[in-house]
Amino acid sequence: MGLYFRLISVQIRSQMQYRLQFVVDMLATMLISVASFFTIAFVMQRFGSVAGWSLGEIAFLYGMVETSFGVMDLLFSGFDPGNFGRQTRLGRFDQLLLRPASITLQVFGSEFTLRRLGRIFQGAAVFFFAISLVKPHWTLPHLLFLPFVFLSQVLFFGGLFIIGAALSFWTLEALEIVNIFTYGGTEMMAYPMHIYPSWLRNFFTYILPAIFLNYTPAIYLLNKPDPLHFPAYTPFLAPLAGFGVFFAALAFWNYGIRHYQSSGT
Amino acid sequence: MPPIIQVSHLTKYFKVSVHHRGFWGAFRNLISRQYRLARAVDGITFQVQPGELVGYLGPNGAGKSTTIKMLAGLLVPSGGEILVNGYLPWRERQAYVAKIGAVFGQRTTLWWDLPVIESLELLQYIYRIPGDRFRRNLDEFRQVLALDSFLDIPVRALSLGQRMRADLCAALLHDPLLLFLDEPTIGLDVVAKERIRQFILHINRARGVTVLLTTHDLSDVEKLCERVLIIDHGQLLYDGELTSLRDRFGGKRRLLVDFAQEYVDPQVEGAQITVREGSRVTYEFERNTITASGLISRLSELYRIRDLEVREPEIEETVRRIYEQKLLENH
Amino acid sequence: MLAPLFFSLASRSFQRQIAYRAAALAGFFTNFFFGMLRAALLAALYNARPEMAGISLAGAVTFTGLTQAMIGVQSLFSWYEVMNSVYSGAVAGDLLKPMGYFRFWLAQDAGRALAQFFLRGLPMMLFYAIFFRITVPQTFGQWMAFVLSLGLAWLLCFAWRFWINLAGFWTPNALGLVRLGFILLYFFSGFLMPLRFFPDWFVQLSAFTPFPYMVNTVVEIYLGVLQGPQLLQALAQQAFWAVVMIGICQLTLSAGVRRLVILGG
Repeated sequence: MGLYFRLISVQIRSQMQYRLQFVVDMLATMLISVASFFTIAFVMQRFGSVAGWSLGEIAFLYGMVETSFGVMDLLFSGFDPGNFGRQTRLGRFDQLLLRPASITLQVFGSEFTLRRLGRIFQGAAVFFFAISLVKPHWTLPHLLFLPFVFLSQVLFFGGLFIIGAALSFWTLEALEIVNIFTYGGTEMMAYPMHIYPSWLRNFFTYILPAIFLNYTPAIYLLNKPDPLHFPAYTPFLAPLAGFGVFFAALAFWNYGIRHYQSSGT
Repeated sequence: MPPIIQVSHLTKYFKVSVHHRGFWGAFRNLISRQYRLARAVDGITFQVQPGELVGYLGPNGAGKSTTIKMLAGLLVPSGGEILVNGYLPWRERQAYVAKIGAVFGQRTTLWWDLPVIESLELLQYIYRIPGDRFRRNLDEFRQVLALDSFLDIPVRALSLGQRMRADLCAALLHDPLLLFLDEPTIGLDVVAKERIRQFILHINRARGVTVLLTTHDLSDVEKLCERVLIIDHGQLLYDGELTSLRDRFGGKRRLLVDFAQEYVDPQVEGAQITVREGSRVTYEFERNTITASGLISRLSELYRIRDLEVREPEIEETVRRIYEQKLLENH
Repeated sequence: MLAPLFFSLASRSFQRQIAYRAAALAGFFTNFFFGMLRAALLAALYNARPEMAGISLAGAVTFTGLTQAMIGVQSLFSWYEVMNSVYSGAVAGDLLKPMGYFRFWLAQDAGRALAQFFLRGLPMMLFYAIFFRITVPQTFGQWMAFVLSLGLAWLLCFAWRFWINLAGFWTPNALGLVRLGFILLYFFSGFLMPLRFFPDWFVQLSAFTPFPYMVNTVVEIYLGVLQGPQLLQALAQQAFWAVVMIGICQLTLSAGVRRLVILGG
């Protein structure tokens, strides 16, 4: 862990050398998210609701996912598939292999992209906007559950990044497929999942358990009806899904490293 | 002493996809993809004793880098055996790499935006180098590599030569027994090359570090290595002393002369004229027929010389000659 | 006289695009996936309404297909080639070519856009036709107007991309600025939602920018929302903005080149 914090501090100091660039980049990151949220907020003024969910409830889903993805994007920057793949082609991964320290730890410490803070700030703002609109009547169990949902989402998205990074040992060209699950996943999870066609929803239920990370917990936290008729315990599967995807990803990552060492690039 | 590097029947195969060219070729790539098996390293065997300084030569794409990567534990062999310093490099990675150093060409191991000294301190932490040993080594390398002028400068602002010096220092702070260098002088000017070579000799002689270096600069080898390995198409063509390589396969050396005036036909015994452009004449000569100084003194007796230069045969040419003479069969 | 050079540049760029087959395929599926999510969201918003602001649900679904198809053709999200060529120094050689620097890149972008049209644009509309109920222009005249509008939108969008890339002549850290340029495009072009769904003040504001003419106008012409004089006016506005934008590009470019010459690259 000491090594991790040293590596991260290097990354932070490096980025602070380019302060203006950092500010512009952070603003840009923030504005993209702001633009998407304002668009849906504007359009909902016309339409009223999204399949029975009000603007505040949509903002809750949206804010949760944006914040957790932003936090993941910061902590797991080293695994960002596109960047990791390019760095590996340039020989950076070989440099890590030459050092007597855990590979995974070194990749965690190899990037810490501070401009992702822009997304976190924006996501948090939308989240609190949602709370102010919805005014949920939360009891202690709700409040205790919320951080677990958040952590599970971070681990879930982090797992997807790790899988993408591992895939880049085989191919860079097909990496955009990973974007379907990461960036597509956030886009999808920002809205109530019952709006999607059933085959798509089933994929994100049984193959990749995205539905349990935001939608079903929100049904519990916002006390919404469940048109999909999941069992009553379903909202509480979030930690299982989050940790499950994360550990499966780590296993695949180790397999990817073995492949890299037998094939090179 | 047992060998520090033992390599036997080492092979490495890669799958390479075949691309079609041109406009319709692009469409064909869209539809089908074919593979062929490339043998990057094809059954090589050698040993290196502790304290040796060995040059590993060959043209581009001969399999040099692949071998080095397998020795450094970055690649797993397809077949054969490697034992370095008592380790299987790829299997016991962390324990193994703690005792080796490696510098791969123009890729720096240092942190791009950090001052050199902070990168070195971070490496001290990663390699768990005791403080007194770190300071002792750093003091020595600062002197030999003349690092002081740029220790506080971020790596991104260093010249290529400075960066190579910093990288060499970084690769040796933890007292490795073995140092792998992949093209350590590539892209450097003459002065920088010389400094790097002096340092490599220093750590080999004074510290007894075993060095294996790849290069396609023959003058690196001449100044550093007593022993060379030559590889081409993944196979070892030559393993032996540099001097005997020269004598047997050196090929023709060339003497480029710029005469003080134009001579009609400036012949000299023991060398043939290959190019003539006014007062500039190129001679070719065999090393076992006449020495360079012998030829120069003969020429200067006959003609007035303004300037001259001796050119050694290129490593590519030497390798080609070895290949042509089918050394493979009696090796 | 310069036409052959233009076509040879365009054709080479076309072939380069075709060569990256896996990337194009992956990009296509990502675009289609996001298109499905956006179509599902619109269906949920419509919630059995027959139409909104003159656009039917089928029209709204078609809108998502068209805009997703345009991502590749117009390169709506990213294009940093001119900036990168300034940083790599390739710009020096390119400026000496026997054709204007703007035209040099225009030719290459034409090839790129055409390749993307076949790789991602056309297949997108075909996929949409299979998976969704979509609308098509009703008359030959409307088809012609659509094609013309798409061409003008490409020209205008290229000029915008080219212009923001020119920031590379002034600062070595232009990436953030160029990104901001793409965010403006993302927000104001009507890519995220048809501009008709936005509040009136937003529509009026965006009409003063070139962005609606890069995406929204093309969509409205395709959907048949604009007819007769309105349609002609829209085409004229597109052409007007294209001319203005190209003029701005040329002025900025000559200032940038002067700067480059003075600083010696």
